[in-house]
Amino acid sequence: MLDVSAAGVLLANRDGELRVMAASDERVRLLELFQLQNDEGPCLQCFHHGTAVAVPDLSTVAHRWPRFVAEARRSGFEAVQALPMRLRDEVVGALNLFRARPGPFDPVGTPVAQALADVATISLLQQRSTVRSSVLNEQLQTALNSRVLIEQAKGKLAERHDIDMEQAFTALRGYARSHNRRLSDLARAFIDGTEPLTDLVFRTH
Amino acid sequence: MLVAEQAARRGARVSVVDVCVAAVTALPVGGAGVSAMSRSTASHPLCSTDDVSAQLEELQLTLGEGPRVDAFALGVAVLTPDLLSDEVLDRWPVFAPAATEAGAQAVFAFPLQIGAISPGVLDLYADVADELDAEDLADAMAFADTATLILLDTAIDEPDGHVRDLGGYRAEIDQATGILTEQLGVGIEEAFVRLRAHAYAHGRRLAEVAADVVARRLRFAPDTTPDTTPDTARDEADDDA
Repeated sequence: MLDVSAAGVLLANRDGELRVMAASDERVRLLELFQLQNDEGPCLQCFHHGTAVAVPDLSTVAHRWPRFVAEARRSGFEAVQALPMRLRDEVVGALNLFRARPGPFDPVGTPVAQALADVATISLLQQRSTVRSSVLNEQLQTALNSRVLIEQAKGKLAERHDIDMEQAFTALRGYARSHNRRLSDLARAFIDGTEPLTDLVFRTH
Repeated sequence: MLVAEQAARRGARVSVVDVCVAAVTALPVGGAGVSAMSRSTASHPLCSTDDVSAQLEELQLTLGEGPRVDAFALGVAVLTPDLLSDEVLDRWPVFAPAATEAGAQAVFAFPLQIGAISPGVLDLYADVADELDAEDLADAMAFADTATLILLDTAIDEPDGHVRDLGGYRAEIDQATGILTEQLGVGIEEAFVRLRAHAYAHGRRLAEVAADVVARRLRFAPDTTPDTTPDTARDEADDDA
């Protein structure tokens, strides 16, 4: 599966500082703590930039992260990968994978590890409150319903004026913008007959 | 892990599609699908792993009955190891035979839930009559839990409120419904009922009927049976009085 000797999960707290949430063994834990304290290492770089960092051979980066590399190799690790943990568009932490021997990372394994990080993020945040879940569900329902309304409105408008779906959408969106209305609200009003859409403009393309 | 592998294979953010594919790999089932559900509107199909799953999804949307409908309404898993048994035929007199015709012999529906919140349902089917054993059930519930979390985590872009990764959403069904409000001079609810009724009466898939409506191959007129234009490929010759 994944060729890993040890792993650690770090999540950012409210102040944006990384805290160790889980580690596969104590040695890794010490390392994570070490990274934080010294403000150096691939994990922190990954978190700050939101991109994966791969170090196939720690001996080659000793000049960059001197104390981290020294400590890592002393613990028996020769290669490190750090993958961002993302919630929607926000980087909330990092997954750190350590390996005992140096060498390139399996190109197939990296996307799997990233996906694992994504699933882990979602699972960890299962601790979120019921209120938040409820809010998220509301947002999801609203978004799905909006999509339905907009498509229904396109159909109705297309049929009424004998235009195609794309023209209908462009016309609706233009009307919403120029009258400063939410597209989905406009769509709903048009469908239930309370919005006559006067001054609607069509473009032929 | 299986879910993560699927996402990696697709090269995209983990999504309900990956849960479905992983479930088919891990469980003795032929296909899986996830629908977002709400109390006020019809279901939104989000993904199906194969055509049979898509058909089962559509049948339940068209008929308003079936395991997914019950699972969502009751908030419990609905396990039907044999669609041909008498109790099942009593329960879903229209859905059950239609489902077996589509290729399913057993269906299992798991509501996606966090406490009182239920954003959708995970549907599984098998092409032979078969039970899920305790271990399979536990796995299925784990997949349902994962799907729930992923679904709630779905990215929603503002300001249009566009949902990313909608997967199996078919706009034509909703567009066709809108078209019918004009052609029939009725409200949106009735337009949807008429569209579904036509699909059911003619034994056609809802998505196909919708596609014909959107392409103007099929027109509805008030108080008459729908007309087809002469150049349609499908024959609508069997007018029912």
